Amino acid sequence: MTAAATDVAGGPHRAPLTRLLRNELRWVLRRPRTQVALGLLALVPVVIGAGIVLADSPGGGLLTQVAGNGLVLPVAALSISLALLLPLTVTMAAADALAGESSHGTLRGLLLAPVGRGRLLGVKAVGVLAVAVAAAVAVALVGVLTGLVLVGGSDGLLTLSGTEVGAGSGLLRVGLAAAWTVGQLAAIGAVALAVSSATDHPLVVLAATLGAVIVFGVLSALPALEWMQPLLLTTGWSAIVDVLRDPLPYGELLSSSYRAACYLLIGLALALARITTREA
Amino acid sequence: MTAGSATVGSMTPSHGGRPAAVAPAIRVRGLRKTFGRAVAVAAVDLDVPAGAVLGVLGPNGSGKTTMIRMLLALSRPTAGTVELLGSPIPLGAGQVLPHVGALVEGPGFHPFLSGRENLRRAAAAEPLLSTPAIPAAVDDALARVGLTDAAGRRYRAYSLGMKQRLGLAAALLVPRRLVVLDEPTNGLDPAGTREVRRIIAELHAAGTTVLVSSHLLAEVEATCTHVAVLAEGSLITSGSLAAMLDGDAPLLDVRTPDVEGALDALCAESVGASAVSGGVRVELNGTDAPAVVARLVAAGVAVHEARRARTGLDELFAQLTEGDR
Repeated sequence: MTAAATDVAGGPHRAPLTRLLRNELRWVLRRPRTQVALGLLALVPVVIGAGIVLADSPGGGLLTQVAGNGLVLPVAALSISLALLLPLTVTMAAADALAGESSHGTLRGLLLAPVGRGRLLGVKAVGVLAVAVAAAVAVALVGVLTGLVLVGGSDGLLTLSGTEVGAGSGLLRVGLAAAWTVGQLAAIGAVALAVSSATDHPLVVLAATLGAVIVFGVLSALPALEWMQPLLLTTGWSAIVDVLRDPLPYGELLSSSYRAACYLLIGLALALARITTREA
Repeated sequence: MTAGSATVGSMTPSHGGRPAAVAPAIRVRGLRKTFGRAVAVAAVDLDVPAGAVLGVLGPNGSGKTTMIRMLLALSRPTAGTVELLGSPIPLGAGQVLPHVGALVEGPGFHPFLSGRENLRRAAAAEPLLSTPAIPAAVDDALARVGLTDAAGRRYRAYSLGMKQRLGLAAALLVPRRLVVLDEPTNGLDPAGTREVRRIIAELHAAGTTVLVSSHLLAEVEATCTHVAVLAEGSLITSGSLAAMLDGDAPLLDVRTPDVEGALDALCAESVGASAVSGGVRVELNGTDAPAVVARLVAAGVAVHEARRARTGLDELFAQLTEGDR
């Protein structure tokens, strides 16, 4: 037994984690569909900004606040994209991460190398997170630029509470909105990864995850199901507007982030449980 | 130099010629896999000596791929144990699999990356490759399968044969102790098939154990030292190729212009024989070649040539898989 074990030079061999991560990030960000999705997301604030400048009377809600108040634009763009476009982008990345690799037959290669299954999930989760960060940053960054160039108002931010804060504080608030958005997207990505670990079909991941987001939206609109509100991820999504209030109310932002953390943990735990027993 | 010593020489690497301490490269006991009620693999026992080239033969759906997937820890056996290179699978997969190269269920690569980029991605996951060694290992593997010229093209533009070659290259990224090739010649042209044979021969010469599955008998006959035949999930027979070809019911082909005379003479001795083109085929049951030739010569039949007819593996395979239906 010992002779046999030394046969294959004891101790498990592993490829360095940094190499795997670098490789994964390059693969995720070089993929044409990721680049197209990020490009389209970056257009969202541009389209909103142009629409507001061209229209005589701005649309309702948050958009009325954008006129002459450029730093509201990135927050409005994030809020609008979070409804569907950002979850779509992140879910797409999660669908490709495991189900897509499986349907291409490349998951087999990774497991045969071998990359340990737990490590594989970790690497994949980082790849999905990278897409979430890139997507939120793309919307926020292009939003800030468009806001300042098209809409104006570079000397500060007029808050929803009627006060005015400096440009630096305004940018910080946009950064906070982007970071909070990444948290919500990470939760969706984790759930999508769990679905992705259980199927060979990327389309199933997309349908299941986005279907859930839409169903959550419908459920939260039904008064009879009000008791369900604290359980739904989408409930806290209106909290992003809070970054535009003065003084900044943290309550909703925090509670929605905790909720996202719960979804994240559950999603990753399910994904781990599934991937360790998965047949590849 | 003599025929006898050549036979012994070809047998020893597989049987007893090596120190007994060397564990078999693959050791399978009672391996079974069921999907619901369907039995894909039923109680397979198999030993593959280190350094052998084992051909796993079987018609489509005979359980070849299912068995290979269990060997490589891609799929869990319903029952039974697997040892690769002396370590149990799947428990020791982390230690063993770096030494194992495999092409299973066709090549799997990303269509939007070039062949070289795909291999680099595969190489990044290989535990035995150091980061600086990756580019050279990738170029080397591409050269071995003859893909150097097409390495920069996107995988989506590859032909079936080129895809298969790239899959083979991924299995050869690192010097392996065991290489598992599931239907490696699928989609390859005759030149590609010859190259696969050459690659298997090179691996064999380097002391690598090779497991090749195929439904093409000629492939196995040309490249393998050992054969295992699967049908409907069961291992029908396994052993060294030479032993199987020499197996039971030996036949003697006798070339003679006097076919009728020969048949009469043998019939008189109640030795089974049948006419074939240019002579007779004699069943050597209860007799041997010199006795048959002596009998024929004594009966005045001109014997131009007499040699043992090897039952081609083709014939053997047909017998084994269709005989008992």
